[in-house]
Amino acid sequence: MEKKKLQYALIGGFILLIVVLFPLVSNNFIIRFGTDILMFAIMASAWNIIGGYTGYASFGNVVFFGIGGYITAILMEKAGMHFAVAYLAAGFGAALFAVLIGLPVLRLHGHYFAIATLGVAEAMKALVQNLEITEGNSGIYLPMLDLSIKGQYYFFFYMMLGTLILTLLLTYLVLNAKLGYSLIAIREDEDAANSVGINTTLSKTIAFALSGFFTGLAGSIYAYQQAFLKPGPAFSVQTTVKMIVMAVFGGMGKLFGPLIGAFSIEIISETLSNYFLVAHTLFFGTVVILAIVFTPKGLIDMITQRKFGISYFLENIREHRI
Amino acid sequence: MLLDIKELNVGYGDIQVLWDINLQVKEGQVVALVGANGAGKSTLLKTISGLLKPYNGSIIFQGEDITSMPSKEIVAKGIIQVPEGRRLFPGMTVEENLMMGAFRRKESKNIKPELAKVYKIFPRLKERRQQKTGSLSGGEQQMCAFARGLMGNPKLIIIDEMSLGLAPLIVDDLIDNVKEINRQGTSVLLVEQDVQLALDNSHYGYVLSTGKVQMQGNSLELLRNQEIKEIYLGL
Repeated sequence: MEKKKLQYALIGGFILLIVVLFPLVSNNFIIRFGTDILMFAIMASAWNIIGGYTGYASFGNVVFFGIGGYITAILMEKAGMHFAVAYLAAGFGAALFAVLIGLPVLRLHGHYFAIATLGVAEAMKALVQNLEITEGNSGIYLPMLDLSIKGQYYFFFYMMLGTLILTLLLTYLVLNAKLGYSLIAIREDEDAANSVGINTTLSKTIAFALSGFFTGLAGSIYAYQQAFLKPGPAFSVQTTVKMIVMAVFGGMGKLFGPLIGAFSIEIISETLSNYFLVAHTLFFGTVVILAIVFTPKGLIDMITQRKFGISYFLENIREHRI
Repeated sequence: MLLDIKELNVGYGDIQVLWDINLQVKEGQVVALVGANGAGKSTLLKTISGLLKPYNGSIIFQGEDITSMPSKEIVAKGIIQVPEGRRLFPGMTVEENLMMGAFRRKESKNIKPELAKVYKIFPRLKERRQQKTGSLSGGEQQMCAFARGLMGNPKLIIIDEMSLGLAPLIVDDLIDNVKEINRQGTSVLLVEQDVQLALDNSHYGYVLSTGKVQMQGNSLELLRNQEIKEIYLGL
């Protein structure tokens, strides 16, 4: 057991080292691509807390991304604050919003919860489009980061990397505490969780707030990187869908599942669009469908179980009755 | 008196289901609550556990009115249900499920001895402690549900439809477990469709029918009652 742990730690450390050193030997395009992957890895991991562990499929998580971005934009542009302050405010602001919206919305289950969260994100987009402080549909500019081009690329890459590590670390700590068990219990059987005396409302709300916090941080970095934010892209449903697809593809309810999902999905989609300029989304959709049919537990299950043969795929199909 | 239910009227919206229910559980007793489908047993249990608010009447537990308390506080007071259909967490191991039963307890140092005590009553669960409960047999799942209930250190354990879908031999084992739990000082409210089983293994019984307590009394006497024999036992 101990030896295995050491082995995992060594492998993990090695991968981390490669990621940390990676920008130093890459060109700007690839660093930018890596930054995008890290951003989606944060958001998919954050979605995993509420969607994967707690079993509440949020279709509106992009709202935290947008809120994080807009808080950063407003604090930096209108209030002249430093990015460090805006960054933290973005995380806590998104978490606070998650608490306020979660208290009513987390009473809903299944499809109703999904639709309600979708509605929240759309409503927030409409609000931001019409507020004066967000400068409506024309979009809001942020101050530029005062660094060389290369320095900017480095800065955003390492910000995303740091935030991702923070996300995974805190998720790991939370899950091994009592709260983690109550979240999994809620996913498995919420009535039974209630009957053993778990405060399900509180647990769900904390999970939603954590999910919002990390997504908000990602939104903050994204806004500063773009130096310009518009309601449409900031609150796009497609971003939520991407988080969900990545989490499911990599493995829901597993710590490193969404991370693996984000890496593989981004790389597959990028490769496909290189070869098939027009039809790449068609091929991409096919890849996602095949993955869900053959590996519904995600890539991480294949990796941890070390099963790659046909029998594993058949077993999955039988088990999930497709 | 451990549990004292007085003049309870309950329903869903305008539709009244329970009428003037009076029911008592004394300390150290096994009390049977029997009745056919639709008699109102589940409605009564929901009301006791705080999931349903009664129109009027009161539920007194150890001298304290718990009628309108939220369910998690009722659990903390010591009324714990072993729900119908077991309702385990299938993706968790046996031991994790048991630990979940102790979720509300603050004094974590007492939990390990409690676990040992529960394993002593259910040695089979100890063998399977690292197994996911989704892969247990029906009888083992029912044991696990029981054991999870015990981990919450109940004063009154309410067991809902324990015999449902289990082979008679396994039900016998489980009934022995119920008696053992009762011997160790926990009062039991046994809610059953199997009238013979429940009355054979309890001190006192209530017969619920169309939302009213039709009969009550010493379990042995109820078993000898001609009406019960005809309606419920088919003798």
